[in-house]
Amino acid sequence: MSNDDKERRHWTHKLSQLLVRREGPFTRELLLEPAKFGLGRMPSSLAPDATTTMVCGFCSTGCGLDVLLRDGKAVGLTPAANYPVNLGMACPKGWEALAPLRGANRATTPLIRRSGKLVPVSWDQAIFHMVERFKAIGAEHGPGAVAWLGTGQLATEELAFLGALAKFGMGMIHGDGNTRQCMATAATAYKQAFGFDAPPFTYADFEASDVIVLIGSNLCIAHPIMWERICRNPHQPSIVVIDPRTTETAMAATQHCAIQPKSDLVLLYALAHELIRRDWIDHGYIARHTTGFEEYAQHVAEFPLERAVQETGIAREQLEQLVRTIHEGKRVSFWWTMGVNQSHQGTRTAQAIIALALMTGNMGRPGTGANSVTGQCNAMGSRLFSNTTNLLGGREFTDEVGRRDVARILGFPPASIPSQPSLAYDQILEGILANKIKALWVVATNPAHSWINQHDLREALSRLDCLVVQDMYHDTETAQLADVVLPAAGWGEKEGTFINSERRIGLIKRVSRAPGQALADFHVFRLVAEGWGVGDMFRDWSSPEAVFQILKRLSRGRPFDITGIDDYAMLDRHGGVQWPCPEGTLLDTADGPANGHGREHERRLFEDGRYFTPDGRAKFLTAQPKPLPEGCTPAYPLLLLTGRGSSSQWHTQTRTRHSAVLARLSPSELYVELSPEDAQRYGVAPDEIVSVTSQRASVHARTFVTHTVQPGQVFMPMHYPTMNQLTFAAFDPHSRQPAYKACAVRIERLAPA
Amino acid sequence: MSALLAEQATLTVVSRFSQLHDAQDVHEAPLKEKYYRDLLPLSQPRAGEQLAFEVDLDRCTGCKACVSACHTLNGLDDKELWRSVGLLHGGTQAAPVQQTVTSACHHCVDPACLNGCPTRAYEKDPVTGIVKHLDDQCFGCQYCTLMCPYDAPKFNPARGIVRKCDMCSGRLAHGEAPACVQACPSGAIAIRVVSQSSIVAASDAQRFLPGAPAPAHTLPSTQYKTARALPNNLLPADFYSTRPEHSHPPLVVMLTLTQLSVGAFVLALWMERVHGHAIGNALAHAVLAAVMLLLALAASIFHLGRPTQAWRAVLGLRTSWLSREALVFGLYAQGVVGYCALLALELFPKPLEPVLALFGRVPVRELARQILPYLRHGTALIGVLGVYCSVMVYVATRREHWSATQTGLKFFGSTLTLGAAAVFCVALWSVAPGMQLPTELLDLVLAGASVKLALELHALQLVRDVRSSTPKRMAIVMLGELRGWTFTRLTTLLLGGVGWPALMLAGWLPSSAWQGFATLGLVLLLVSELCERYLFFRAAPASRMPGALR
Repeated sequence: MSNDDKERRHWTHKLSQLLVRREGPFTRELLLEPAKFGLGRMPSSLAPDATTTMVCGFCSTGCGLDVLLRDGKAVGLTPAANYPVNLGMACPKGWEALAPLRGANRATTPLIRRSGKLVPVSWDQAIFHMVERFKAIGAEHGPGAVAWLGTGQLATEELAFLGALAKFGMGMIHGDGNTRQCMATAATAYKQAFGFDAPPFTYADFEASDVIVLIGSNLCIAHPIMWERICRNPHQPSIVVIDPRTTETAMAATQHCAIQPKSDLVLLYALAHELIRRDWIDHGYIARHTTGFEEYAQHVAEFPLERAVQETGIAREQLEQLVRTIHEGKRVSFWWTMGVNQSHQGTRTAQAIIALALMTGNMGRPGTGANSVTGQCNAMGSRLFSNTTNLLGGREFTDEVGRRDVARILGFPPASIPSQPSLAYDQILEGILANKIKALWVVATNPAHSWINQHDLREALSRLDCLVVQDMYHDTETAQLADVVLPAAGWGEKEGTFINSERRIGLIKRVSRAPGQALADFHVFRLVAEGWGVGDMFRDWSSPEAVFQILKRLSRGRPFDITGIDDYAMLDRHGGVQWPCPEGTLLDTADGPANGHGREHERRLFEDGRYFTPDGRAKFLTAQPKPLPEGCTPAYPLLLLTGRGSSSQWHTQTRTRHSAVLARLSPSELYVELSPEDAQRYGVAPDEIVSVTSQRASVHARTFVTHTVQPGQVFMPMHYPTMNQLTFAAFDPHSRQPAYKACAVRIERLAPA
Repeated sequence: MSALLAEQATLTVVSRFSQLHDAQDVHEAPLKEKYYRDLLPLSQPRAGEQLAFEVDLDRCTGCKACVSACHTLNGLDDKELWRSVGLLHGGTQAAPVQQTVTSACHHCVDPACLNGCPTRAYEKDPVTGIVKHLDDQCFGCQYCTLMCPYDAPKFNPARGIVRKCDMCSGRLAHGEAPACVQACPSGAIAIRVVSQSSIVAASDAQRFLPGAPAPAHTLPSTQYKTARALPNNLLPADFYSTRPEHSHPPLVVMLTLTQLSVGAFVLALWMERVHGHAIGNALAHAVLAAVMLLLALAASIFHLGRPTQAWRAVLGLRTSWLSREALVFGLYAQGVVGYCALLALELFPKPLEPVLALFGRVPVRELARQILPYLRHGTALIGVLGVYCSVMVYVATRREHWSATQTGLKFFGSTLTLGAAAVFCVALWSVAPGMQLPTELLDLVLAGASVKLALELHALQLVRDVRSSTPKRMAIVMLGELRGWTFTRLTTLLLGGVGWPALMLAGWLPSSAWQGFATLGLVLLLVSELCERYLFFRAAPASRMPGALR
């Protein structure tokens, strides 16, 4: 090329660069650069100088998230590539987990209500005020008059601290958590059937099954990362979904039983009946590892397939196909979630699922199990250590030996341990309405949105003499009703451990500074202990990791023995550890945290067929199916189903609404799904604002007319504040879990304005 | 207390859990590669091929991880999303179907964004076929957001530019998967090499995705695959959702005033030819046209996210009607202003003598007098061409409601009615006493406004249509959330377009009141046309991929 040519090219290039700018500040802004740490290319705004893995703080899947750090502070995150739970993936909530920390309306200072308004005060004033009020109320009305409502969102160490402080330090008797709303049924079902609240599975079971039965579970939306594990199943499994709605999961399944709402118990009994009738059961397993089968067989004899056809609305051929699928499966796993748990007969329904697994010998082997998929990130920690229904570590308050154990391990006077269990959530609210409970401490939960039948709940809260709300945000529906607001640090601003659905204990870490004077819940409990005058009693409870060591001592010799976990660093190294892990457990660490499928990462229970009951056998339990607590009537002809609406909304949206991304990924207002038949019958159009009315309230919602709900049923998502004004407060008698999933409503057009 | 707050504020995570990070330092290669290896093409596209997203609908279950991952891993702003997940549903009561659909830019074979861009801020990579947006070239006119039938380019107001998905070309070039591909828990998104002729064939067969805008316009490359037979009644979940769209106020002003200007300029010329002399003050007519045009151009600058880069508007002349519109109105502006100047020279030589003196012995006035008629006719022609370009700017989007007929009637209707009303008004104020008034202009205003009124009333009654047609959607919005605007539009049109011309023509107004009425009428008509143009944008249903519930 001649110099002239070069010169000319140079100038054409310059001219073209002048006319068309391919580079510049905007282009550089989005440029992707290698970010090390195995992250691949990242925008420079995210380039970290270190990373650390911690578990997500939304649901119980317990995904590992790699937080990208600069100077120790989080600048972003990406799902951990080798965490044994999520294998490099996360749902939108996980991706956006840091956004809620930056949200507006964070509580940054304690508040006390003075002449009707919440005004900022110092921590000392707030704690003093709270202690003074609680003590005065306790003195006047007795120790049972002060109660608390906790959560499955706190770290295990914090839950244990709260429970121990409230009951052993402050002398409270009653406390419960929002886990009552999601997992009480599963916990009760397991406890009665297995002798301990012990979900037996590991996520590897999703990948090992050849038949996967999902009951009342919209896994694709509620637990997308568990669905990921099903997608990685190499055995082309049959996937059966039992759900009244044609959900995303039902669409992805190979069989969908669109049963009539709450006909699940009849269906399960009929399946058992048919399996027994055809002798498609595992006599050996039943004989060796279970009790009560004879009675069970007798009981389900009343449930021939014809009865199921009638009550579930499923054709006989489809039921027979389902029975055959279960029979032909070599590794059948049964999974259930809220469709079962939030029911007026949830415990027995869950146990009917357990019974199917037991009688077909689908327990303790890879790809099997009667598996409850958990709700909140630390519902499992709460079930073991919240010290509410159960004494710390799954013990009984009524059991003297257990009380003595706990007193000895903690070094507390035995007399400080009450011998009566807590009232359940709904009973605490009844206690308030009956003027027996006068003060309530609500920690990291939002009953003024989430509890069933809002009218009664709000009536109860209004009758309290003192309502203390401890939360990340000062504007949750419940905080707005509070007398005292304590500002709490959130996930990512504090340390501790969560226990996920598959019993994996994972770490959360402090990677972001809490705003203003917000404190980790752990520290708030320390302050309250000092304020109450029991600081000395909790001197050893100095840090989350110190409490973790105490929890280890509480676990020794128990089914969830975790004495083999040295410390947080070990949890960090292993990508979490599943319980049980008694001292001396060999955890293969050959290839360290990078090993996603090593044996230490995936352990299931009952491989030896020994259960935690005194006789070591699992129990079959039964009940007569009961009709819906609130059936449809001519005035309220439609059955309202509720549930999770999208993967980008979490419960009452106190956190997820602070992410601009998540807000864009979900409908902006309450909607109601109804069938085209019902839309025509009640004269409503698609995308029209209508009123949905139950016997308790009437709310506005936008219609979504779709065949995915059956005629006679409507569906509304739980994430919008007015929805629970409609629901009917019925409870499972064994678990006291509210039956959110069914109440009667009608739909009407709005009167023209 | 302070100790607790201090502890809360210290971040010790790095020192406490450091050994792990030292170990991870060595990982230069992406750890997630093992998950996405199979989702990337084995080879580069050859001639006639390009890269494309492949979406396995049977695997997409609507978790939307792809959207958040795209947002995070590309470092986008808070509210900025390049990918979206919609929902299709249908089937029957016995066999209901719902299908979630993920989509981003389709990296079309014939990208409308690229064709429409006035600044050449889009390039289609000759090898990969990836449609890249040059962020530093963009001046934020947002025309591509109207051109793209799939709503892929997104305006970023903070930066004043558009940005969009580039298939993470910076990752693909190094063998890494795009963010969405990396992040999909069920492996539903892959990058594949596809032949462009197969994309054309699919488009010819009307095959792309149910509920999505037809592929013929741009030839989208994304491959939606499914092993099932989708029912033929699938509808997007947001199908019945009717919400107002963006109003683009500067464009409302720009379009209305350019049309007023052109109408006034052309009709003044026409009247002069018909009557053989200027109706009133010729310079006043010209100045009105010039002022309106300059206001219009000033308004159009405000539409740009980066007004300082306005000069780039003409770079896309080869394909972009927006470039052509900008160029033609630029020429028209010069013509109108030049015409005003020469006319002023012609009519008022005295005050301009010092200026003339600068030219020495050049016979400027002579030349001007000779040029003037050519300049005037040429400018008028260019003005009409400008309005035509404006029409084509919207016709090129191929939206049903912006069809040539709809837009042509609206824009040329405005040109006619506003122009006629303006010329009549100026004539009224400047005509010598006793001179005949050009009442045929009133006929024009009356006729134009009546036709518009009739058409719009007809369009509104389509709200009763049983079909969910585009006109029905517009009528729903115009009678719903925008009913105030619609009411104002119709009443001002009735008063300002039909009322006063009719009264004057019928002779029911004393001639002493004509000036006042006509001026008021012109203002009302202008307000009315601004409302019409506002509704033109706001009531226009957006064109996008199937959406989710909103």
